[in-house]
Amino acid sequence: MWKSLARALPFLLLAALALLPLAGERFVTYLATRMMLLAIFAVGYDLLLGQTGLLSFGHGAFYAAGAYALGFFSLHVSQHPLLGVLVAVAAAALLGLAVGALCVRSSEVYFSMLTLAFGMMVYALVWNASDVTGGDDGLVGIMRAPLSLPGLSLPIARDAQFYYLVLLFFAAAVLAAWRIRRSPFGLVLTGMRENATRVAFAGVPVRRYRLAVFTMSAAFAGLSGGLETLLESSARPSMAHWTHSAEPMLVSLLGGLGTLSGPIVGSFLFIALREIVQRFTEHWMLGVGIILLLIIGAFRGGVVGTLHQLVERRRARETAP
Amino acid sequence: MNAPLLAAHGLTNWFGKVCTALDLDVAFHEGVLTSVIGPNGAGKSTLINLLTGHLPVQAGRVEFRGKDVTRLPVHARVRLGICRSFQIVNVFPQLTALENVLIPALAAAGRTRRFFSPVSRETAARAEAEAALERVGLSDHGGKLASALSHGDKHLLEVGVALAARPALLFLDEPTAGMNPLERARLLESIRSLSREGRTTFVLVEHDMDVVFSLSDRVVVLHRGEVLCDGAPDHVRADAKVREVYLGQELEAAPRQGALP
Repeated sequence: MWKSLARALPFLLLAALALLPLAGERFVTYLATRMMLLAIFAVGYDLLLGQTGLLSFGHGAFYAAGAYALGFFSLHVSQHPLLGVLVAVAAAALLGLAVGALCVRSSEVYFSMLTLAFGMMVYALVWNASDVTGGDDGLVGIMRAPLSLPGLSLPIARDAQFYYLVLLFFAAAVLAAWRIRRSPFGLVLTGMRENATRVAFAGVPVRRYRLAVFTMSAAFAGLSGGLETLLESSARPSMAHWTHSAEPMLVSLLGGLGTLSGPIVGSFLFIALREIVQRFTEHWMLGVGIILLLIIGAFRGGVVGTLHQLVERRRARETAP
Repeated sequence: MNAPLLAAHGLTNWFGKVCTALDLDVAFHEGVLTSVIGPNGAGKSTLINLLTGHLPVQAGRVEFRGKDVTRLPVHARVRLGICRSFQIVNVFPQLTALENVLIPALAAAGRTRRFFSPVSRETAARAEAEAALERVGLSDHGGKLASALSHGDKHLLEVGVALAARPALLFLDEPTAGMNPLERARLLESIRSLSREGRTTFVLVEHDMDVVFSLSDRVVVLHRGEVLCDGAPDHVRADAKVREVYLGQELEAAPRQGALP
């Protein structure tokens, strides 16, 4: 029974998300859009942290690369949303490749510190090059033009319409991450997390594979960043700040590190929690921080990990003679 | 004798002020099961580390099948066929035994760059991995996490992981350490039969003289980073210098443990 439920869950979630805008609550639709954007960011990030064991503090830079690339493309080249998203993903992946090439030579804390340094360099660049990036104000006035395909033009200007575009990308990102995790490449990533030396002695070039997964996770970040630019009609320098880089890490820990569903559940919980706490206090960061600490402390392995353990225990009890 | 499979010329290595290999010349020939012995600190593990690329070579040259591999990284040497097991168990603890051997099997088959197809479809690599587990007698434990295996089984898995990489030359660093007699017998039988098959040439670093003299075609004795003696087991056993610096003490300290299978 548990197995069937676990198999049905993704489809139930997808169906629930597809039906959500029909309820007509614009704010709920907006929140769900933000949840999916964070989940795309986190699912990609967890390929690096949960699957490969590499902690990056610089993924905000790739998020911002996607956001600004879409912004520039939309303002100066074309407002086509799909082309814009493609450019966002490509820009983030390219930046990921360049930064990753310099970072993956180091491991553990040195790797993390290098990503932090590069991430903050990008942040400083975005902040200071105000003639190009708009500085503190960011890039503004980015339109959500209709999604024109041969013989078809779909408007995405309204939030509910744009929501379905995000849902499509969310489903595609989750599917891609799911397939990567189950692939031979995914198995090698897990091996690198467990024992990078042994992976090298299995005949795998560890640095090259680290770079590959780093670039992939940067592409996920760029996708999320590009879509946020379309959602908010703007790209802001705070997207590149290290505190933004910490968000996918936090939600992965909250949901369950190294699992596919963990970052998704963590993203949904994080956005909901932040929204609720913000209604009660302007010091919401402190409130959310305390609650997150309590949840992470109580649920070792995250919410999903703990639920998984409970189900396993129950299953063991049921099958025991 | 044929050209060596692997040859090292003038290998020198320093750890700070301590010299662990000094102008060392050593060669390993295809099909010749060789054991490297010597007292603690003689440079046996350092030699393996240098030959497999785990440590950078500071001076000297390493050739594999006549090709200079001195500057090649570990993974490139493994692709050529130079593999190793470790003295301290070095497996993937949170992966199953089968997944442990599947990683090198996939790498050997050039299938690790498949990003989106499920690993369950890699039937050829899986068969190779299962064969590696069978060779070390762990077929029944394929689904177990490596961390849940007994110490001896972890050592067997360590050898299985190395075998799954399809090595032409396999260095085994104290492979029988911590094994019970049954596990040890199983592993030695595997080594013997694989060596006879001729696909893999084995080089053992061992402290157990029963294993060394019952299994080896050739024994290399290291002492203070230099080759003290090199030859057939009987020749080495009879060598006065070897008895003085190593075998005499070894045999006195550890009386024979009984005949090996």
